[in-house]
Amino acid sequence: MTTGDVLTLVVEQLSYRVSDQDGTQILRDVSFSISGGRVAVIIGPSGSGKSTLIRLIPRLMEPSAGRILVAGKDVNGLDPLQLRRMVSLVPQKPFMFPGTVYDNLLMPWRYRGEAAPPADAQFWQELLAMCQIPKDLLQRDSSTLSLGQQQRVAIARAVGGEPQVLLLDEPTSALDRPTVEALGKTLRRITVERNLATLLVTHDLHFAQQVADDLILLQDGQIATSGPAKELFREGHSERLQAFLVGSSVG
Amino acid sequence: MQSLIDLDLPHLVLAYSLVLLAVGLSMLQRIGQGREILWASLRMVAQLLAVGYVLHAVFAVNQPIYVLAILLLMVVVAVQTVVGRVQVRMPRLRRVVGTAIFCGCLGTTFFFTQLVIGLAPWYDPHYLIPLAGMIIGNSMTGASLAAERLGSDVRARREEIETALCLGASSRQAILPMLRQAYQAALTPSINAMAAMGIVFLPGMMTGQILSGTAPFLAVKYQIAIMCVITGSVALTSFLILHLGWRQFFTPAHQLRPWVAVKKSNSAAPSV
Repeated sequence: MTTGDVLTLVVEQLSYRVSDQDGTQILRDVSFSISGGRVAVIIGPSGSGKSTLIRLIPRLMEPSAGRILVAGKDVNGLDPLQLRRMVSLVPQKPFMFPGTVYDNLLMPWRYRGEAAPPADAQFWQELLAMCQIPKDLLQRDSSTLSLGQQQRVAIARAVGGEPQVLLLDEPTSALDRPTVEALGKTLRRITVERNLATLLVTHDLHFAQQVADDLILLQDGQIATSGPAKELFREGHSERLQAFLVGSSVG
Repeated sequence: MQSLIDLDLPHLVLAYSLVLLAVGLSMLQRIGQGREILWASLRMVAQLLAVGYVLHAVFAVNQPIYVLAILLLMVVVAVQTVVGRVQVRMPRLRRVVGTAIFCGCLGTTFFFTQLVIGLAPWYDPHYLIPLAGMIIGNSMTGASLAAERLGSDVRARREEIETALCLGASSRQAILPMLRQAYQAALTPSINAMAAMGIVFLPGMMTGQILSGTAPFLAVKYQIAIMCVITGSVALTSFLILHLGWRQFFTPAHQLRPWVAVKKSNSAAPSV
């Protein structure tokens, strides 16, 4: 949908079928692409395959058909651990590892076996500022954080590993309205400052409208409509988007 | 050595009267457990008599092939018991538990009987069968704890494992906290038993040896040795179960398999 020089994330004809007797088709021929510095939002009713789609990109699951390219490379040709350095997914309920916030931010470095910058390094100062996490939180026990703080730490932890693609599964599901708005601002800022291709899944239309550069409406495992968010929200020219908008604002 | 006083049938009946006392007390308090007590006691009598006949026959024949067959049967029953106790779905559980108990228990059993005791002939059923029984029985408990804890942890802590994988952890790094805790859980009963030994209770083997006329110090030395062997066997069996078992939860591409670690009875499709 956005044609830059190098597309950071390209998804081509992606399909996913459950490997049981029924062989339920969850995703069918899904294609889209995102360039760096842009936020794409997948909206869709529950059961539309949103979460499956986002879990396929870092290869937490294998697609039945189709291709995923990250920075021009087919993810199947990459070592999964290498891929997950380039693509970081923040799960719906981010887990806080025991220890301090700093201990949590170190996890990607520890898993790679690399020495991380020390706690007082510029690197962390910038990361915390960008994610709007107060500096004094760094040495706080992670079990004492609010849900909103946990979500920010989870995002900082993912971004601190310096990925090119940031994925978020329902990042607002546990948050109240003001926290959601603040999170939206943070995500836009991170995306631009780090030139990330950010893809997030939500069923929260207000949030989608706030953060999305591009919008993908997923229905029954297929892209019902997609395009620049401003156009789709302004014109509402797609009946399906409109139906979805009406349906979810009533429900 | 003085020999054990024989118990003939009237004396056994006299002993059994205490079971009837338990049944009577249960009826008096209207607990309604009388039938269960009777049934359990009859099972005990039948099972022990059967074991007695088998051991009698094996001792009489005194052939290594029969002794090995008994050991193998014990391993099979232990594997069945452990597999039955694990309440979550674990791929290739039987193979993992089988390998672990076979290598862990029989390895330590033969280490003890051949290198420590220096058994002659090497298959002497008077030693090999009861010692193997104790080692396998105790290791079975440790193995169950290890497998059950690992399976239920992978089920309950899916989010933790997936968060780690998302942050670039290898499957081994992601599951390491659960492996450590399962190993601790498996070893705790053995540690507690060693620490309480002789103070809280007098162990069965030592009591039996003393009853049959063995000098207390010899019985104590055997008890010390068998506790060491049991601890080693529990540790080795649990270690093998965990380190062969954890890989079964993942694909080579560091993905948590979708169908693992759900309740065994749950046949519904996994959430995707």
